[in-house]
Amino acid sequence: MSDFEFTQRMTIGQYLPTGSALHRLDPRARIVIYIVLLAAVTFTPGIWGLVFGLLVMCVGLLWAHIPLRYALKGLLPPLPFLLILAIMQVFLHPGGAAETVFFQLGPLLVTTGGMAAGGMILLRFAALILVLSLSSFTLSTSELILGLHRLLRPLGRIGLPVEDLVLMIQVTLRFIPFLMQAAERIVKAQASRGAAWGKGSGGPLRRARHILPMIVPLFLTSLRRAENLALAMDARGYGAATERTSMRELHFRAWDWLAVAVGILLAAVILLPMV
Amino acid sequence: MERPANEGDPGAMSNLIEIDNLTYSYSLSGEDDQPVLSGISLQIAAGELVAIIGANGSGKTTLARHLNGLLLPTEGQVRIAGLDTRLAENRQTIQSTVGMVFQFPEDQMVATVVEEDVAFGPENLGLPLAEVRRRVEAALREVEMWEWRTRPPHLLSAGQMQRVALAGVLAMRPRCIVFDEATAMLDPAGRQMVMNMLHRLHQEGLTILYITHFMEEAAQAGRVIVLDQGQVALDDSPQEVFADAGQLEKLGLDLPPAVEAAHLLRPVFPDLPEGLLTMGALLASLPHAPESVAAFGTASESHAQAESAAFIEVTGLSHIYLRDTPFAHQALRDVDLQVAEGSAQGLIGGTGSGKSTLMQHLNGLFKPQTGRVQVGRFDLNQADVTVHQVCQSVGLVFQNPESQFFEQYAGDEIAYGPRIQGMQKPELRQRVQWAMDVVGLDFEAYKDRLTFTLSGGERRKVALAAILSLQPEVLLLDEPTAGLDPQSRKELIDHLQALRTAGMTLIVSSHHMDDIAALTGRVMVLHQGQSVLEGTLGEVFAHTEKLSALGLAPPPAARIAEALRRNGWPLPAGIVDLPGLEEALADFPGGGQ
Repeated sequence: MSDFEFTQRMTIGQYLPTGSALHRLDPRARIVIYIVLLAAVTFTPGIWGLVFGLLVMCVGLLWAHIPLRYALKGLLPPLPFLLILAIMQVFLHPGGAAETVFFQLGPLLVTTGGMAAGGMILLRFAALILVLSLSSFTLSTSELILGLHRLLRPLGRIGLPVEDLVLMIQVTLRFIPFLMQAAERIVKAQASRGAAWGKGSGGPLRRARHILPMIVPLFLTSLRRAENLALAMDARGYGAATERTSMRELHFRAWDWLAVAVGILLAAVILLPMV
Repeated sequence: MERPANEGDPGAMSNLIEIDNLTYSYSLSGEDDQPVLSGISLQIAAGELVAIIGANGSGKTTLARHLNGLLLPTEGQVRIAGLDTRLAENRQTIQSTVGMVFQFPEDQMVATVVEEDVAFGPENLGLPLAEVRRRVEAALREVEMWEWRTRPPHLLSAGQMQRVALAGVLAMRPRCIVFDEATAMLDPAGRQMVMNMLHRLHQEGLTILYITHFMEEAAQAGRVIVLDQGQVALDDSPQEVFADAGQLEKLGLDLPPAVEAAHLLRPVFPDLPEGLLTMGALLASLPHAPESVAAFGTASESHAQAESAAFIEVTGLSHIYLRDTPFAHQALRDVDLQVAEGSAQGLIGGTGSGKSTLMQHLNGLFKPQTGRVQVGRFDLNQADVTVHQVCQSVGLVFQNPESQFFEQYAGDEIAYGPRIQGMQKPELRQRVQWAMDVVGLDFEAYKDRLTFTLSGGERRKVALAAILSLQPEVLLLDEPTAGLDPQSRKELIDHLQALRTAGMTLIVSSHHMDDIAALTGRVMVLHQGQSVLEGTLGEVFAHTEKLSALGLAPPPAARIAEALRRNGWPLPAGIVDLPGLEEALADFPGGGQ
């Protein structure tokens, strides 16, 4: 594995056009379902709700023809941070009188409640990451933009600049892959000139000095890009007409309504305080 | 494509573009009073095919941006189809009359999917849905990208992206298209494709203006405008503009290769017609040899490569990007390469053929997934060999290296490498001075210059010096001349040739066969990650058909030599550059008769 392939380690943020039934749902339906599920796993109070949520994600991934192994790999990079968070939860949980104490480390008590809270944190983040992965695997950026545009359009009537807002999101999303490529190229070029990339030696000042050769050109490249893009948009008449049209149309069918209903139902089950 | 409707032109419009005494300066209060454009007057009629050439910084791009109102004149007037660009109410009509294709293809993409990007312009015009769809399809079919309509732009090649950008302009149904160095970043096949489209659109009745640094492209125009320091220096037919080599050189320009070659050939073939501007025309007018001459046998190749131990040895190298993911992509497949110490190796092939990936294996940026790589004393298969060590003996100069500058002053930029190695003041100063000498930059004059005030050619030299300051034994160059004007390109080639003569091992990847012919002795052709041809320049460039199937063409001198040979003239094999051709013609049987 190379130190320089930034894109290699990221599974979240990739779109996988497998053509499954889930992919063929109206983008608006998918956006609503993912938002509802995201909210459900964020706010559910009980551990069984989370377990059920995880189960729903796995079924969703299988339904979308995404290899489970690939999706679960996305859990690995943030795992160390999550473990630290979970361990802190275990120790810092305010123990109640009714809880059994497992063992005591000086002032730190490890109680059943603490263990449960640590476990909850792990499960909750796993579920969150899986919902986000599922949405990025099944929603292409163009569908996301189109769906958002149509969902937000009613807000245009109360004076919100929906068109500009959506275009802003679109341009940002389009910049990400190019920015990653540019960053990769710059790091490689500086490493070829002897920059100690990836070596954790030296104090913070020295390290900051090492980062400078990467940040400055990346910043300048992005500015140049932004300027060129603005020129290109200007040249193609952006902002000239009063009303922009849009090439794509969406059709919300009965099937999409059904899917949204099922999504809301599942979210409700996740939120049920079981046990 | 249908001709666009005239939008209420005044009856007898003959000139589509009228520029009156145009002056433009960046309003940097007083500091820089030199205007970018001064007193330019031009008329361009509908249906013309115009090339705009000039050295870096001569004002070409600034002029182009006045043609659709992206910039507005400081003084003077620009009228498009009779409409003044300074009036806001004309803006939309002007933007849909004159379209622009820019230099960097990826910077022009707005949307995350090809077809939506093409739809951006028509959507801005507020056209009805059915019309937007019709225009998007017509435009994408015109540039032959219809099959790619659902792709995200970042997965396209540079040439494909440029065609999508052109489609985005065509979808607005303009009457005129301005190409601002639209071929500069493309491989030979991509460049050819864009040029073909430009000609086709011109034949369909559009007015075309294009800015270029390639004189062979400028020679294909009906009219050539030469800019020099913000003024029109020449404005004439290509025959007239390219008649005076001395004057062109003063303007920082060059002759098209066909014209230069014709000068060499005329003493030997006095019957060669005047005014040959393109390679096609030149090759077609080369005379056939009389019977008596054709009887001579061809001499054997003069370049006998002395076998010496390989300094760089690559065996069975394969590389897969994003391995173990659904996006896995094989970039190199079982490549073998030997490069002797002090020799020069060229790498050619289209975008995505694996040239850059191969180069990045030679200084340790990539570790071999399969196969072996040995460079001098470094065995790159060993896990503990890092770029940090290898870069002291292998210098890699990336494409557009000046975009990676981060220091304010040229001297600091060059000192960065040795400084990181722990070199201290007096020695460091000497080292920087040495590196600047090698690339022809005066130490005292340039060390304290701000990098962003340097010209394109000077910046490229600083970037090269920044690698040379590590005193590598091997120099890897990825597209060393991309984006340079003819004069800067020539100077850079001279300095690189001097380095080669001084014994440095060079590996050069380029889309320009002239660079390869001038700088290297052997060349490898890569295609889809595989080495398909390898040998001396003469050997490789003799495979004309195989190369053209890959979208490549041998350098002009090699093509002329081959055409002469085919016409029965006994020329030796292995001619790849004009000096070589000149030499062969000097002792030509029947030469100068």
